[in-house]
Amino acid sequence: MGARSAVTHPGGYAGAFLFVDLSRGEIRSEPLDAGFARRYLGGLGFGTRFFLEQLAPAFDGPDRRRNGFPDPVGPDNPFVLMAGPLTGAPMHAVARWTVGARSPLTGLWGEANVGGFFGAELKAAGYDGLVITGASSRPVYLHIEDGRGELRDAAALWGLDTYATEQALVTAAQTPAELGGHQPARGSRRPGQVLSIGPAGENLVRFACLVNHQGHVAGRTGMGAVWGAKRLKAIYVRGSRRLAPAHPDRLAVLRAELEEVYRESIVIEALRAFGTPTQWDIGAVMGDVPMRNWSQAVWDRFDDLGPLTYERKLAPRARTCFACGVRCKREVEISSGPFAFPRGPGPEYETLVSLGSLCLNSDIEAVARANDACNRLGLDTISCGATLAWAMTCRDAGILDPSDYGDTCPDWGDGAGTVEMVERIARREGLGALLGEGSALAAARVGGAAADCLTTVKGLEAPFHDARAFHGMGLAYAVSPRGACHMSGVGYWVESGGMYLPEIEALAEPVDGMTSAGKAALHAASQDYGTFFSSCAGFCNLGGMVLSATQAVAMVNHVTGFDYDLDEVTEVGRRVWYMKRGLSHLFGARAADDQLPPLLVTALEEGPTAGSTPDMSLMLREFYALRRLRPDGLPSQDALLEVGLDDLAELLGV
Amino acid sequence: MLSGFFRLVASRPEIARPLLDSRLIIRFTYSDPDVVIVVDCSGDSLDVRPGDTTTKAVVDMKMKAEIAHRFWFGKVNLMQALTRRQMIAKGPVPKILQLLPAIKPTYALYPEYLRDNGFEKYIIY
Repeated sequence: MGARSAVTHPGGYAGAFLFVDLSRGEIRSEPLDAGFARRYLGGLGFGTRFFLEQLAPAFDGPDRRRNGFPDPVGPDNPFVLMAGPLTGAPMHAVARWTVGARSPLTGLWGEANVGGFFGAELKAAGYDGLVITGASSRPVYLHIEDGRGELRDAAALWGLDTYATEQALVTAAQTPAELGGHQPARGSRRPGQVLSIGPAGENLVRFACLVNHQGHVAGRTGMGAVWGAKRLKAIYVRGSRRLAPAHPDRLAVLRAELEEVYRESIVIEALRAFGTPTQWDIGAVMGDVPMRNWSQAVWDRFDDLGPLTYERKLAPRARTCFACGVRCKREVEISSGPFAFPRGPGPEYETLVSLGSLCLNSDIEAVARANDACNRLGLDTISCGATLAWAMTCRDAGILDPSDYGDTCPDWGDGAGTVEMVERIARREGLGALLGEGSALAAARVGGAAADCLTTVKGLEAPFHDARAFHGMGLAYAVSPRGACHMSGVGYWVESGGMYLPEIEALAEPVDGMTSAGKAALHAASQDYGTFFSSCAGFCNLGGMVLSATQAVAMVNHVTGFDYDLDEVTEVGRRVWYMKRGLSHLFGARAADDQLPPLLVTALEEGPTAGSTPDMSLMLREFYALRRLRPDGLPSQDALLEVGLDDLAELLGV
Repeated sequence: MLSGFFRLVASRPEIARPLLDSRLIIRFTYSDPDVVIVVDCSGDSLDVRPGDTTTKAVVDMKMKAEIAHRFWFGKVNLMQALTRRQMIAKGPVPKILQLLPAIKPTYALYPEYLRDNGFEKYIIY
């Protein structure tokens, strides 16, 4: 690591954080400290630190836990929303921003990472992040405009879906008499950006999400329910600042170099052609696409959900995130028939699985309509589909009787039934009241063998990349701080081959997916780098897949003015990974939680992965040694001190 | 060996039909040993032409013969091969990707072809 330059005003950052106390109706801002920025970079680097600070009241007793931890769906659960230094920069694949709180779904550290436009707009309005505490006694929304924030009444918005909420707030900002808006500043009335919850968040569905610009969703771990408990319906933000990079000339040179990389990359061209559904056929070759609650390898209707059918039936148009030329998002419409809906965001790969193959629903129009319902109602499609598949499996096994809830459960392949169940979950009606708890809590309520049908780790439903095809994903799911997650590092992209990082020794060699040896080192390194990359800096794991580590670090340096090298950014990543893991430990996670459910590791009898199953014991043993985790799962003191987390070590008592 | 396999694929209507729908002309250029094969899907039937270096192909695929051999067993990580340039694909990517569902049944056919033609020793288990 080279000598650090003393940058006092790093570029790329807005330079301030907004603190909102909903209980008291108070708002204040604090400036960004350059040393803090260098050490934690941004995104969940900032978010985990602010969150830990807000937990301080839980540690003020003699036993350090006297006051207990906040209920995830209670008023005291702190919520953080943080952008990275790159968020909003005029480059491809850097529109990402992050949210975090104690998860209503898992009870552990919860987080989500999202693109779209909100993060860039927040920085243009003067803030790198928000820390929201307390709860309002009545529905409110937070209005932020060019360095000023205020809470406004949201009674008229409560009950609206996310699309209607966004429309109402944009309209209100342009016609300020409505909703108590103030007179707009003179000049352009370009609409701002809205982040909101739908009825699912209001009804405290534990996998409710936050939605920006319709299809840009902070989906995982139930952050929508955190807002619902706070009676925070939405945030409207509008800003007019342009954030200057520290080294615009160097950034321009890098941008020109990357244009050629993006033009030449077959991976990017595939994303441009089909969006994330391009993974459907590529994944099928490798056995990476789960079917029928992870228990089926071959399905004769598989191609009905593939990119060719998508093109033919859904008439997709490309859309994108702020400043990104990859344009991997899809906007679709169905003009007639039982699943008709107006043009709006189309299903991503994960949703094609969750509401499609996982439930053996081969009707792509039904999948698209269910996706539209999830976006409007504010539900995470991954947990929603996985919870529904769990219910179908339990129903078939005689473990769950939907009539106990005065309801029926859709059959496998019932597209219309799937759409209807999505709506009942959001409204907590009938069986939807149970399923709105998420599959792990629902299984605990049902009891018996219901837990055998789960596909969760630490209470979070697994996303749809199969550990039987890529053994390392089994480890990634098991040890991820937020529960089963393919985004907590870049391991999936390295193991599946889309990302090539020759500068990092453990990630340089070609990888055989269906072996377990060596995967611990690969995933530890990918967590360090990936946490820097997407959790902190603001890179998108998809659009940023083509960047070398050298290019990624250069971009951060050109924007911020810091002089990071690869060692230092991976140390930042490691520090923040331990922060996340430490927060989940504070909430009770232990080594026994670092396990996969049987359905994810049961070898299939046919298909590309026939007979393959990850050696979890080997990978966990190697990973625990590399990460210096104790037998109970907690990090050792020296591991935490090495990355400067003395306070976390003390709080964990290690 | 691979030319014979392509001819077998051409003789199976259930596989050939979707390939013909693509209307593509694909040139496979293998090295070590050096082999060129054109698979022409632009006519009424699949035309497999070993050694054709003159036809203008829509899609050009270059790789080592060993990678191609493993690919037809479904043993090559396609993304990894493309990213690390073990396979170099030139041509319209959407059309190349559209071939993936069409060639799925060939993975089962390839070991069968090797067995039936005296190439058992090349079968990868």
